[in-house]
Amino acid sequence: MGGSGRAWRAAAAACMATRLLTGTSAAQSAGDPNPGAITLTGSMDVSNAYLFRGIPQDDTGLILWPAADLGVALRSGGRAVRSVTVNLGMWNSLHTGITGVDGPSGKLWYESDFWTSVGVGFAGGVNVAATYTAYTSPNGAFPSVKELSLKASAGVHGTNPYALVAFELEGQADGGAVEGRYLELGAAPALGLAGIAVAVPVKVGLSLDGYYEGLRGDERFGFFSMGGNVTVPLSSDRSRFGRWSVHGGADYVRLGDSNALRLGDNSKVIISAGIGLSY
Amino acid sequence: MFSIRGVRRATTVVAAVTLMLGLSSSRAWAQAAAEPPDPNPGALTITGNIDFLNQYMFRGIAQNVGESRGIAMWPSFDLGIQTYSGEGGFKSVTINLGTWNSLHTGDTGSNSDESGLGCACGKLWYESDFYATLGLGFGGGFSLGTTYTAYTSPNNGFSTVKEIMFKLGADDSARLGKFSMKPYAIFAFEVGTDEHMGQADGGLEAGKYLELGISPGYTGYSRAAIAFPIKIGLSMGDYYESPIDGTDNKFGYFSLAGIVTVPLGPTTKFGNWNLHFGAEYQALGDTTKYFNADKNGEPQSNQFIGSVGFGFSY
Repeated sequence: MGGSGRAWRAAAAACMATRLLTGTSAAQSAGDPNPGAITLTGSMDVSNAYLFRGIPQDDTGLILWPAADLGVALRSGGRAVRSVTVNLGMWNSLHTGITGVDGPSGKLWYESDFWTSVGVGFAGGVNVAATYTAYTSPNGAFPSVKELSLKASAGVHGTNPYALVAFELEGQADGGAVEGRYLELGAAPALGLAGIAVAVPVKVGLSLDGYYEGLRGDERFGFFSMGGNVTVPLSSDRSRFGRWSVHGGADYVRLGDSNALRLGDNSKVIISAGIGLSY
Repeated sequence: MFSIRGVRRATTVVAAVTLMLGLSSSRAWAQAAAEPPDPNPGALTITGNIDFLNQYMFRGIAQNVGESRGIAMWPSFDLGIQTYSGEGGFKSVTINLGTWNSLHTGDTGSNSDESGLGCACGKLWYESDFYATLGLGFGGGFSLGTTYTAYTSPNNGFSTVKEIMFKLGADDSARLGKFSMKPYAIFAFEVGTDEHMGQADGGLEAGKYLELGISPGYTGYSRAAIAFPIKIGLSMGDYYESPIDGTDNKFGYFSLAGIVTVPLGPTTKFGNWNLHFGAEYQALGDTTKYFNADKNGEPQSNQFIGSVGFGFSY
């Protein structure tokens, strides 16, 4: 199972690329194909492996991640509260390996996640968002997991640090005995180089309580990852078809004991590439 | 038996959106000075709906079956890309990508753990369809759409059905003013099938389907648009195979409906929103009435459907 981590990554990549490559939206009114309050973000990625917050899902075949997000800007332009947005979206994972087509169900569609999020942007580039996510498995590979998460982030000198706390309300990512609580700390230093956006995301996933249940009980350390992503625009920011881009990257993931036991190894390199749209 | 799926909503939801767009445009000429600027002048159009119904009929085949039928909820989302628009005989080329879903509270959905239908796991999510359409617009309001659809069932209510569909339609609202008839014809055929698998009727052979319809409508009222879609669904070959004796019955169903679409305010930076209501009567053929058996297992030749929902276009 998985999802919002990936979803946020895809959305963040699209937003980051947009900002780095085209400047801020405030300067765009003339010729903007979409000056309204609704934004569509979509992506399709291909990967060699899928780990959800360090918990192995599949690495035996091709993995596809189609995703879409609809953002509604309810308010923008205040002094202290700069913006209020609502997002609705879905993220999917399609597997050709043992949890998909080659698995007991024979069905490709391993995971489908739905989320709704309310985000508030403050002066100084600080953002706070609350998200409810339902992680479901259309091919019955895992029981649904429902989660509430809070994320605080800041655009500090292009480093984009963030902290995320998630609470499982029903179901469990680790399939353990109790619903877990999760903490993720990370940053995604980014810069634009000759029209290309480059980011170096770093993050660590920790169990606050019952999130990584293993043979020796709940383990604090879930994973650490570091990667590099490159986003190349395919269209101008004035295109009436929106901003399209291709992106690719690699992540090195170091796993905690319970996740390493599931994978059969204590580390994994994940390579992915895809196409994105922001409109 | 529980081997169905659907592209359904075509009548209510799409008609409601079309009506709403027609209503918006008809009002626009009168309110041009007062209307805010177009929030989305680009080439992408986003459409979404959520509808609630007492029964889901897919081309005359009942989907909410069992002792507890519950309700069906239809969230859907469509992204339209206008890749070409011009004058003359060849007006437009559009691509649409979308998903349509049916969530059931009854025996075919969240109650399936008790009914034993499908996955017998109590999952709400009965159906999830994905489609891609290439649409060509011609002079005189004529259009031709070619659609590939994969009908899937996340709760194992039926095996995945794959279909290619052609739709020829005519929008006569430019000639008839506030009235329109909008006749159309659909031809669809199932692909990638096997015995009892990948077919709407769960039959032995892949089916071929023909639908003929009109959607008389009126957009002259300032507060609402109305339409009365009429259609008939026919088997052109193995589309309505009887589960009793395997006979392919030509007549699938006849449908008569009424739809009222009420815009929720003018166009804003959030797009157009509407509330719509629908009522539909279906007369079923010999195969489809079997699928519409009542709680005692008696086939029912008639079905009434009520619906209400919200629509959004941006």
